[in-house]
Amino acid sequence: MHLRAVLFAVCFALAISIASSRAANIVWTGMVIAQNVPQPAPVPPELTKLEQTLKELFGYNQFEVIGQSDKTLKTGQEDWLANSKYFGLHVDARGENDSGYTLNLKLYKENDVLLETDANLSKSSPLVIKGPQVGSGQLLLVLVVKDDEQAHQRRHAEPVNPITAGWHRLQRIFHRVVP
Amino acid sequence: MKTFEEKWTAWLDGQLSGKELADFEASLPDLAAAEAERRDAHKLGAFLKEQLAPQALSNAEFFSHQLHERIAREDRAGDRGTRFPRWTIPRLVWSGTTALALFLITAVWLINQHQPGQQSEYLTQILNSRVDPVANPNATVYIFQSKNQNKVTVLWTEGLQSLSADYAAK
Repeated sequence: MHLRAVLFAVCFALAISIASSRAANIVWTGMVIAQNVPQPAPVPPELTKLEQTLKELFGYNQFEVIGQSDKTLKTGQEDWLANSKYFGLHVDARGENDSGYTLNLKLYKENDVLLETDANLSKSSPLVIKGPQVGSGQLLLVLVVKDDEQAHQRRHAEPVNPITAGWHRLQRIFHRVVP
Repeated sequence: MKTFEEKWTAWLDGQLSGKELADFEASLPDLAAAEAERRDAHKLGAFLKEQLAPQALSNAEFFSHQLHERIAREDRAGDRGTRFPRWTIPRLVWSGTTALALFLITAVWLINQHQPGQQSEYLTQILNSRVDPVANPNATVYIFQSKNQNKVTVLWTEGLQSLSADYAAK
């Protein structure tokens, strides 16, 4: 009787952990024109957390979004497009990997492919691509996995716990065995 | 040679016959009183036979219920007695030690899967990148991570063809 109760508790815990880890994530994709202007406009909300990093990396004081997309990923096999008047960024998700999603990105200028790249986009590590110079500014491509706010803050506040990492790894192994 | 008592008992039981019966009845001082005594003895015998016969059990259902309850009680006591000794202290200790050892082996294996020096799986990784070599013959690509807490992965391109400000339109 006790053994049955323990088995039930273990199965329940596994089911809960699997269900929680299967939660959908939103990937924000933005095409940003960075430039220096006398009166910089405030950064869009999606870039608030990255503002300082972008300023330090590229040396510009204004970041204007000219095209964007919010895509909810459920299977990790979706694809989407972020468009501006002349540019298009096609993102093709090719599955969920250990920490995020495997993506294929193609930057189009009208019909020409300017840049193509494959990346493993981590849920806790944004991707910024420096594109071509546009006028006095710079085209930047930004991809961010939007996550649960609390989990995001916790990840940044605390160093990676090896036991937690091990548990997550075990979950992933379990997902591979039981898709 | 039978004694008087033996002949009397046999007469009471009707086992005398013929000359022996006639001789015995002739020897009795009062045959009528003896006959009355024999009738009384037969009545007593019949009464005793009736009273000493095995009594049929009454209230059989109650008896059966009591019996079942007792069997169930003994079974429960027997179960407790046989189940508990299976988890003896040494067995519990061995089970606990085995479970702990399995847990530690699994934990060490899982933690060691991530080798030191390997790029963290918590950072975005650029697997490869291509720039149109015809339009951008001098293009080069660098990859690095920001040092701050945002852990931004940067794909840094140099030498891409510059575009006019018109391309900044939304």
